[in-house]
Formats: sequence, C-alpha cells, structure tokens
Amino acid sequence: MDTVLSVKNVSLDYRVRRTFFRHKYHRALNDLTFSVQSGETLGVIGSNGSGKSTLLKLLAGVYIPTNGTIENQCHHSMLLSLQLGFDPELSGRENALLSGVLLGARRSYVEERLDEITAFAELETSIHDPLKTYSSGMRARLGFAVAMIIEADLVLIDEVLGVGDIKFQIKARQAMQERIRSEQTVVYVSHSTETVRELCSRVIWLQNGSIKAIGSTDEVLERYLGAQ
Amino acid sequence: MTTHNLFEAFFLKLQLNLKAEARSSYLNYAWWVLEPALNVALFYFVFEVLLGRGGEGFVVFLLCGQIPFSWFARSVNNASSSVNANGQLIQQTAIPIPFFPLLVVAQDIVKESAVLVCLLIFVWKMGHNPNMTWLALPVIVATQSLLIAGCSLTAAAITPWLPDFKFIIGTAMTMLMFASGIFYDYSEVLLEQHKSLFLLNPVASLIDCYRTVIIDEQWPSWSRLAYVAITGLGLSATMAAIYKRLGSVYSQLVIQ
Repeated sequence: MDTVLSVKNVSLDYRVRRTFFRHKYHRALNDLTFSVQSGETLGVIGSNGSGKSTLLKLLAGVYIPTNGTIENQCHHSMLLSLQLGFDPELSGRENALLSGVLLGARRSYVEERLDEITAFAELETSIHDPLKTYSSGMRARLGFAVAMIIEADLVLIDEVLGVGDIKFQIKARQAMQERIRSEQTVVYVSHSTETVRELCSRVIWLQNGSIKAIGSTDEVLERYLGAQ
Repeated sequence: MTTHNLFEAFFLKLQLNLKAEARSSYLNYAWWVLEPALNVALFYFVFEVLLGRGGEGFVVFLLCGQIPFSWFARSVNNASSSVNANGQLIQQTAIPIPFFPLLVVAQDIVKESAVLVCLLIFVWKMGHNPNMTWLALPVIVATQSLLIAGCSLTAAAITPWLPDFKFIIGTAMTMLMFASGIFYDYSEVLLEQHKSLFLLNPVASLIDCYRTVIIDEQWPSWSRLAYVAITGLGLSATMAAIYKRLGSVYSQLVIQ
C-alpha cells in the first residue's frame, strides 16, 4: 500500500491571551510521527483533551504545525464536519447545497444529489422550510446526509455517529461503515473502543498531545483499556 | 479546496447570504434602499430643516456624499469582524481568511449598486439630467470598491489580533465622516493651502469625484481617481502578502 499521508515530528502550540500584552503558549500536540496508507482506516483514541480533534484539524490543513512536516499526497482531504456553514434563515435545501460546496464538492455535483440527501435525511416534507424551524435532530440528519455524499481521497472523521434518533443512528452507522470499509482512506477519531475495533486496522493512542502507543488495533486497545 | 471550488463557494455564499439577510426582515430587499434613504433624511432634517444650513441643491449634494461614505464605512466596519464572526467555519475547513472580508465587500457592492441606481433616478428627477460624464460613474464605483477591499482586508486582519480594534474603527469612521466633506463643500470652507491636504483623504477625493460628475456634470479628476485606485490596490496587495504569510495563524487566533 502507498503512503498517502506522512506526519514527521509534528508539534502544535496554541497562543492563549492572558492580559492585554501577555500571552502564554499551550502545546496541544507534541512530536507526532506516523503515516497513513492508501485505503486504510486509522483510528485515533484518547481521553478528552488529549489532542484528537486538534490532530484532525492539523491533517485537514485548518492548522499549520508549529514544528515538523506533514506530507499529504491526497488531492482532496475532507474534515467531515456536520452542519458546516448552516444558516438558520435559509431552507434545508439551500443549506445542503452550501454545506456541500463548503466541504469541497462542486456545486453541480451537490445539486444533482439534493434529492438523495433529502431522502437520506428523511426530510422530504420540510426540505423547503427555513432551517430555523428544524429540530436539532432534523439539522443533524441533514448535516450527516450532506457529509455522506461528498467524495474525498482522505476523509477525517470526528465522532459523528451519534446523530438523530436511534433509528437514524443505526442508518448513519451502516452508511458510515459502508464508506469506511470501501477503498476509502480514513482517519477516524472516536471514544468508542467498540467502533474503533470494528472499523480500524491500526490505532494511535494519544495522551496529553503525545503518541502513547501506535500499532495494530487489538494491541493498542488492549493497552488503552488496561490503563483506564 | 481548489481555486474553482473556492470561487463556487464564494459566489454561492454571496447569493445565499444576501437572501438570508433579506429574509430576516419583513421588508426584505427594500431595506437595501430604505436604510441609506432614512440616513439621508435624518441628515437633511438636521441640516436643512433644524439648522437652516442647506440651500438650493443641498439634498443632492448631501446624497452624493453620504451614500458613498456610508457604503465605505459599513463595509469596513462589517469586514473588521468578519473573521471572528466566521470562527466556527474557519475551525472546520481550510478556507483562506480573505474569503470572509471579501465576501462582506462583495455583498455591499451588490446592495450599493441598487442604492446608486436609486440615487441616479432621484438626481434625474431633481433636474440633473443624464449626460456623457455619467459614463465615468462605473469607473468611480470600481475605484471605490478597490479602496474598500484594501481597507476591509486590513481591518479584518487586525481585529482577530486586537479585538478592541473594532471600537477604534467606529470612532475612526466618525472622524472620517467629518473629514470627508459630506455636509460641507471643501472648496468653499477650506483655506487654499489646506485643500490638497484634504484631498489626500481618499474618501474625500472619491466624494469630490461623485459630485463633479453628478452635480457639476463634468468629468472627474482622473489623477485623483488614480491616486485612490493605487491606494486601494497597494493596500490589497500588501494584505494579500500578509495573509499568505500569516493566514494559517488565524484559525488558532479565533479560538483565543
């Protein structure tokens, strides 16, 4: 398998404002080195504040590392953000179009799939209503449905399966599993060790911004669960 | 995001932002024209009715100053908070930071085009007939857009570093309003030796160009327009270089 993403000695510092002229720096990620192979699903686990979401933003190009290098061979990397750019005054259909385009898809591509998005989100009767009239569950379903149709070489997923009611959660989980099990290259962040065991071939365990362990899923999860 | 994606996202967001803004009020798109009209009515009431400082043609004189100034002030003011206002989006996708202030500038260009058309219809009804010099108006509008883009990119770059800057902008705009000759004719009020200094203010130069075309029915001073255009272009180019160098830092700044 080809290496599509190579992270070498990457660190990231945040600047935190204390007073008018005084700032302090917080090291969010510290000296990370790993690679992602084409078609694999790499899991990222760790406790709250360990740097999992920050790592995904770094891989998506939202943040630039303070030190180290990231070599990304992928043409289109997508951080799977639900409800990206949603505006309460616009209709569900307009929001789906805007969100899809902001996620990196062509406008014509999203327009062609608007009916598919509407059907997946089960919003046939309310897709033309303003988003401000939607419940949080309806918004989440729409956001998930948009994200599911966007194609990318590398998909970066941050715990997105808990959306909507139980029925929709099962449907969302199936759609996500289908996508992950295809030839898609995925970096998957989750607190659920069960889901990580089910979906990922390799796992990184982050602790306080550093890699505590990296390797096969069974091996890393065993160490991780043992430490809890 | 590829360049093509970025352009598609920009124009789609422009279109939908205008729609969303219009839907958030009962009178929708009518506010594009009503808001500047109410502003001008207020100034007219104070200067013409209360203070009796107007005179013949004062309404047109005031409109030609107030409308371009309001456009400039509103765009720069809104653009200054555009990066912080879109912090969530900046945190979720690798989108270039100038996207946000330029979106504000583009939204205001669309709205002001409607206002300018209304202004021209109004001045026509007031006896200033359309003539050849009106052909210079698109050039003046384009020059003003360049200046607004440069100032907006600058303001948007500073505010995330120094949030207090948005308060300074408010005061600076009030000062600029008095320094741009909106309520007075600089050629009658100022001493001869101060006039060239006054016209160093690019907004004052622009307002003078609008009045020269609409009221005096003469071609504008091309050298003044060139000065404003170069100022706008210079600022935009400088800011483009700064954003290119520091752009990635903003995604971390907006969560401070």
